Amino acid sequence: MTDQLVGAAPAAPPADPEAGAKRTARRRRWRLTGLVLLGWVAMFALWEYGSWWFGSRLLPRPLEVFQAGVEIVESGNFVTDFSASVLKTFAGFAVAAAVGAPIGYLMGRYNYWRAFFHDGVTIAGTIPAIVYAVMSLIVFGLSNLGPILAVALVSAPYIALNVAEGIRGVDKSLITMSEAFGRSSQQIRREVLLPTIVPFIFAAIRMCFAVAWKVEALTEVFGGRNGVGFQIRTEYQLYDIAAVLAWMFLFIVFMLIIERLVLAKSEARLLAWRPQERSSAL
Amino acid sequence: MAVLTIKNLAKTFNVGTPKASRVLDDISFDVRGGTFVSIVGPSGCGKSTLLNIISGVEEHTSGDISLTSDAGGPARMGYVFQDPRLLPWRSVMKNMMYVQDDRSEATVSRAKKYLDMVGLAKNADFFPGQLSGGMQQRVGIARAFAVEPDLLLMDEPFSHLDAITARGLRAQLQDIWAQSKKTVVFVTHDVVEAVELSDRIIVLQPGGRIYEDITIDLPRPRRQTDPTVATLQAEVLGRLETMKAMSRTASAVA
Repeated sequence: MTDQLVGAAPAAPPADPEAGAKRTARRRRWRLTGLVLLGWVAMFALWEYGSWWFGSRLLPRPLEVFQAGVEIVESGNFVTDFSASVLKTFAGFAVAAAVGAPIGYLMGRYNYWRAFFHDGVTIAGTIPAIVYAVMSLIVFGLSNLGPILAVALVSAPYIALNVAEGIRGVDKSLITMSEAFGRSSQQIRREVLLPTIVPFIFAAIRMCFAVAWKVEALTEVFGGRNGVGFQIRTEYQLYDIAAVLAWMFLFIVFMLIIERLVLAKSEARLLAWRPQERSSAL
Repeated sequence: MAVLTIKNLAKTFNVGTPKASRVLDDISFDVRGGTFVSIVGPSGCGKSTLLNIISGVEEHTSGDISLTSDAGGPARMGYVFQDPRLLPWRSVMKNMMYVQDDRSEATVSRAKKYLDMVGLAKNADFFPGQLSGGMQQRVGIARAFAVEPDLLLMDEPFSHLDAITARGLRAQLQDIWAQSKKTVVFVTHDVVEAVELSDRIIVLQPGGRIYEDITIDLPRPRRQTDPTVATLQAEVLGRLETMKAMSRTASAVA
């Protein structure tokens, strides 16, 4: 083919400058790693100093928090609490997607529905997460449904707005093509519209995730019966600050792992057709 | 037998308003099964509108248009657009199957056959984004042939490609067409391309009337290096220039 003629390799540059460039790059990398480490050291030093200043009863030392964390991990009950919190967060997302995605679809597809929903959804997206947490507690009291509702309320407007944007950005020429080949409207929805909005739903979920698990934990602190927030409240009532911090840190680590592994991986798989996703996967 | 029959077809935009403009006027021709017919003309002569009317995307104002299928029943149509219009999230093979009505073994192997004919059999599992523009357009062509259409409509399918790629694709299109003998209506502004590909060229003039209906009786396969092809191309080009000059004089007098 004609394409292959283009690929003649350029003459290799002399070895010396390349080695020099590699050396510079390596030095740059070391310097960056050094700065990262220095940042961590500074953070722990500040923490140590703080617990010396406030007293370790008020602000436990890093080592104490670490030991408390090890105890929590060794006791084994963190698994049930973490999975409870994670399940509630994802249940909230599921509810938000079930409600938000159809609303977003209507908003993106039809101007009338856009007029109907737009202001309401915008306002719903502006209400502070803490208000949703309080409202959910009032509605459900001490139950697992409170955190789910809070997550759903926080996330649904974002999902709706993102899906609406996705639908509005759909490639009209693909719809014309589909109609020209006599595809049904159901086929067009499944093969053209849905794949168009998937990246937007992911963007919405990743954007919400950062807020959602904090809201979830917060709601549990006030009205949970299990989960990380519930444990934090229990330790707080026992005045075990080290354990409170340990739960918090473990939760952060856990959620970051989920963010990186579960969300990023499944997104990369679903969006493998996008050139930029492929190159980042290599 | 005629697959497509058009009689006294006219199209006016904005009927009954001061902005009314007639883009097609008294168009009559028919296309026999298994022939390759090009519609050429300067831009604004209504050739795309004519294609849209044939495809059913647009309504005509007056006249008759009828499509018949060999097998009886509604005529199947295939399309090749200016741009490839592939679903970027589906593999090449899934794009081929998207426009098919069934997933039977026979259909799958037919899709594979046409993919092979455009030289992309080994790219069946690629995403469109992994292919060059010319390769994507080849998938578009294979997709249209693979629905086994009674009438295949092509709307300037090579106009977005560079000259070398376009030449390769024209040669390939000739080969596929020679093997499948589909009925093709091919819209282009490129007379050279039309002479190379067609059995017949319908020339539209500004104002949307048929200026000339030229039969191209040259042996196939035609290659651009062939002097008889080049001579005929020059001749048809000359006639088109005359037409343009005449319509300029006409509008100057009016």
